[in-house]
Amino acid sequence: MDTLVERIIKDVKKGDQHAFAELVELYKDKVYQISYRMVGNVHEAQDIAQEAFLRAYMNIDSYDTNRKFSTWLFRIVTNLSIDRLRKKKPDFYLDQEVGGTEGLTLSSQIAAADELPEDIIITHELQDWIQGEILKLPTKYRSAIILKYIEDLSLKEISEILDLPIATVKTRIHRGREALRKRLSNI
Amino acid sequence: MNCEKEIVSLIHKYLDEEITDSERKQLTVHLKNCENCRTHMNELKKSIAFIQSSSHIEAPPNFTSLVMNSLPQQKKSVNWKR
Repeated sequence: MDTLVERIIKDVKKGDQHAFAELVELYKDKVYQISYRMVGNVHEAQDIAQEAFLRAYMNIDSYDTNRKFSTWLFRIVTNLSIDRLRKKKPDFYLDQEVGGTEGLTLSSQIAAADELPEDIIITHELQDWIQGEILKLPTKYRSAIILKYIEDLSLKEISEILDLPIATVKTRIHRGREALRKRLSNI
Repeated sequence: MNCEKEIVSLIHKYLDEEITDSERKQLTVHLKNCENCRTHMNELKKSIAFIQSSSHIEAPPNFTSLVMNSLPQQKKSVNWKR
């Protein structure tokens, strides 16, 4: 494991909260990215990401230092996101529209300062479209596709995060790709 | 189509970078002659590129302090050691 992360975790395990802030700084963007891509709503994503770090802190003693810390952390945030989606399933379609509107505020956050206004609008539309397509994927394909193509993780890491055999992860990625292909080729 | 299933599985192997040399040859030969499978492969590649063109997202600016404020009280032993 990364020696910096190793050192920080040792301090956290001793009860040093300041060290934990360093861990949050290191991983906050990736953790938030997973929750946002999974639920598609900035407020919920922030809530889930915060909860993930809180749980990591509370359970740091159960983290096995022989394994990769990011895998453990990403597993927590992925599971929290899936739980959240499961709970709100009945009004899923209603939430999707809200998700689309939220995307606008998010895209304005990420638009680069040196872009021309027309480019910014195109970027917003494209980004909203991408997020909309991600949200249309069934949850089990969505998590695999996000971890593979947005977080850029290996099949082995994804299988550890999702606690599934590699063969199952592959199938989910294949089906996720096919689902995207079908939607995109109909446009 | 008859070729579909086997070839599609080769296409996915190719996209996962797990295709063997002989399978790659088989796929290349097939794609040369079969427009349907060629389209299928291109559409899959486009779908991947589409997802990969998503912007990187950053956590909100005050995120770390929000997390730190939500943690339970620090253990006293660490406080006085500092």
